[in-house]
Amino acid sequence: MADQGGSQHGIARTSRVRTDEQRQRDLDRIAKYRDLEDQVRALTAKGEYTPAVFQLTSKLLRLNPEYYTIWNARRRCLISGSFSRPSAGSSCSRASSTTSPTATTAASSTSYSSSSSATTPPARSSPTAGKSGTTADPTSDTPETDESAAADTDTAATAAAEAETRDLSVLKTELAFTIPLLLDSPKCYWIWSYRLWLLQQAIARLRPAVARGVWEEELGLASKMLGKDRRNFHAWGYRRHVVAQLESAALRGRSMVEPEFAYTDKMIRTDLSNFSAWHSRSRLIPRLLDERGADAAARRAFLDNELQQIREALNVGPEDQSLWYYHQFLVLNLVAPDKHPAMTPDFTREDRVAYLTREIDEIKELVEDYDDVKLIYEALFEYTVYYCQLEERQPEPSERAGLVVWLGKLRELDPMRNGRWADLEREYNLKD
Amino acid sequence: MSQSFNQLPEELQLATSAHVKCIQSLDSRKDEYDYWLTEHLRLNGLYWGLTALHLLGKPDALPRAETIDFVLSCQHESGGFGAAPGHDAHMLSTVSAVQILATVDAFDELETRGKGKAQVGQYIANLQNRETGTFAGDEWGEEDTRFLYGAFNALSLLGLLDLVDVDKAVNHVAACANFDGGYGVSPGAESHSGQIFTCVAALTIAGRQDLVDKERLGRWLSERQIAGGGLNGRPEKKEDVCYSWWVLSSLEMIGKTHWIDKDQLAAFILRCQDPERGGISDRPGDMVDVWHTVFGLAGLSLLQYPGLQPVDEVYCMPKSTTARVLG
Repeated sequence: MADQGGSQHGIARTSRVRTDEQRQRDLDRIAKYRDLEDQVRALTAKGEYTPAVFQLTSKLLRLNPEYYTIWNARRRCLISGSFSRPSAGSSCSRASSTTSPTATTAASSTSYSSSSSATTPPARSSPTAGKSGTTADPTSDTPETDESAAADTDTAATAAAEAETRDLSVLKTELAFTIPLLLDSPKCYWIWSYRLWLLQQAIARLRPAVARGVWEEELGLASKMLGKDRRNFHAWGYRRHVVAQLESAALRGRSMVEPEFAYTDKMIRTDLSNFSAWHSRSRLIPRLLDERGADAAARRAFLDNELQQIREALNVGPEDQSLWYYHQFLVLNLVAPDKHPAMTPDFTREDRVAYLTREIDEIKELVEDYDDVKLIYEALFEYTVYYCQLEERQPEPSERAGLVVWLGKLRELDPMRNGRWADLEREYNLKD
Repeated sequence: MSQSFNQLPEELQLATSAHVKCIQSLDSRKDEYDYWLTEHLRLNGLYWGLTALHLLGKPDALPRAETIDFVLSCQHESGGFGAAPGHDAHMLSTVSAVQILATVDAFDELETRGKGKAQVGQYIANLQNRETGTFAGDEWGEEDTRFLYGAFNALSLLGLLDLVDVDKAVNHVAACANFDGGYGVSPGAESHSGQIFTCVAALTIAGRQDLVDKERLGRWLSERQIAGGGLNGRPEKKEDVCYSWWVLSSLEMIGKTHWIDKDQLAAFILRCQDPERGGISDRPGDMVDVWHTVFGLAGLSLLQYPGLQPVDEVYCMPKSTTARVLG
C-alpha cells in the first residue's frame, strides 16, 4: 500500500555497526519508549481515557508522531473527558454540563473501546452532527411552566457558554500541540488528519462565528508550511480543504476564489516552476470567471493575459515542464472545450484556430533561441495535430514535413522516450 | 530485454541472496530504536517483505505458520486489522493482512481461526462514504483515494466487491482526474504518481479503464523519467525508487511501458541496492528499507529482469497469487 511513513528518504547509507555505547543508548531509549507504550496500553485496554493517559500520549507522540493508535487514544481522551458533553445545550445533557475534565466515566469510554470500530464512524455523519448544542433552542418546547422554563433557559445558556469556552480552549491547546510536530514531520499524514479532526470538532461544538475564527487561522498555517516547502502536497490539500470549509454554509462562509487565485499569483511569482501553484490556478479559473460574471470580452481578455504570462515565462524557462503543462491547460481550453473546463465557451472555431495558430507561431520563434529543448518540439508537434483536428482535416504536406522534422528532433534530444516517438510516427503515418 | 540485462556490469547484478537475508533479518532487529518506532507499519512491512521474497523466488523464506499467526493476532472483533497487536484497526493494515493471507493461501485459516472473510469485508464496506463513494482509512474519517484503492484491492481478493457501491466509487475516482490526465488524493488535488496508481488500479479492478485518458496520462507518466534513468512522482521533483512502482505499474496498466527507457530504469534501481547487506534505497547511497526494497524489486519484475517472478501490476502481489485467487 501507498504509505510513506516509516520509510527512509534521503538518509545517507552508513554502516549498521554500532559501538557498545551506541547500542546501550539505543536500548535505553527503547526501554523508555516501550515503558510509555505499556502504560498507555494498560490503561486504554481497560477503557480508561483519563488525563493521565492524555499526558502519556503527549510524550509518546512527541517521540513518534506516526503512531496512529496513540492519536486515536488522544481523540478518545478528549471526547470522554476534556470536551464538554457532545450536546451541551440539549435537554438531556444539562445535568452533566458541569462535568469536570477528570470525570471520565466508564459509560462514555466503553463505546470507544479499541475493537468497536464497526460502529458508525463519527466523521461519516454530516459535519454539523451534534451541533445542536450551543444555541439552546430546544428549550422553548420543554413541557414546563413558563417561569421554570425561563430559568432553565438562563441556566442552559450559561452552561452552553461555559461549554463553548472550554471546548474552544481545549481545541486551541490541541492545535498548538501539533504545530512543532508538523514542523518536524511535514509529510506525516496522521498529524494532518488529527488536525482536521480537531477542526471538525470546532464546527460540531462551537457556534459558527467562533468556529470560523478557529478555521481562519489555518490559512496562516497552510501558508507557513508552503513557505517551507512550496510543493508539499499535504499542505496544498490542507489549504484546499480549509478554504472549502471556510466557504461552506456551516461556517457562514462565502467564496474565497479571488484571494486564492491571488495566492497562486504570489506563489508563481516566487517560483515559476511551482506546478502545484499552476495546478491550483487551473482548478480555480473556471469558478473565478463564473463568479466574476465575466462576459465574452472579459473572458477573452483573461485568456490573453494568461497566455501572455505563460509565454513570457517560457521565454526564460523553456525546459520547465510545469510551464508547459499550464500552457497545455490553456490550449486544451481552445481545442477540447467539451472535455476540459471552457474558459471561453463563446469562442467560434475561427477564434480557436486564430488563438492556436498564434501560439504555434510563438513557439516556432522559441526554437530560434532554443534549438535543443525537446519540450518545444513536443509542443509544436502536439499543437499542429490539434490545429488539423480543429479544422477537421489531414496535415498538409508542409505541416507533415514539420511533424517529421520535429519528431526527428524529439528522437535525437530525448531517446529515453523512443517508444513514444515510434508510436506517434505510426499514429500519424510519418514513416517515409 | 533480458539480453541487455545480462550485459550489465557485475555491481549492477541483482544481489538476490543479500536481499533475502536482509528481509529475513527484519524481525530480529529488536535492539534498534527504529524497530519500535515503526511498529505502526508492522503488518504493512510483513506484506512488503513477503512480497519481495516471493518476487525473489524464495516464497518459503519466512515461516508460513508464524506469518499467519501474526496476521490473525492483529485482527479486531470488527473484522479490521491493526498494524500490530494492540494497534487500532485501519484500512491500510487490513489490506496488507488480506494480501498476506492471499499470498500464503490462508483464507481458510481466516475462516476457522480469525473473524472470517465476511467480517473483514464488512469492516471495509463500513468505511465507504455512501454519499461520495470514497473511503475513509478508519472510523476517524480521513479520506483519500489510497483507501478507495485499498478497499477495492482487498474486497476483490476476498470476492466481496459487491458489498460496496462500486459505481459511486468509480465516479469519485473520475472526479479526481486532472487536465494533465493524472489523478490526485481527492477532487481538485494535484496529480501525483502514487495517487495515479491507486486511481488507475481501482478503475482497472472495477473494469472501468475506459474512463482513463490513456494518451495524456501515458505522456505525463513517461515524463517522470529523468536524466539518470530514475522516475519522479511529480513534475520538477527528484527521482525515487518507489516511483519505479507507482509510475511503471500505471504505465503497464494502460499499455505504455515502452514509453520509457526500461534499461536505464533497471540500472537506476540496481544502483540503489546495498549489494553487501541487501535492501534497496530511494536513491543511490542512501539507507535501505523494506518499502523501497519491495517497490524496487516489483519495478524490476515489471521490467522482466531475469530471475524475478512476475508481479501483478494492479495488486503488487505475485502474479501466481492473483491468478490463483481471482481465477
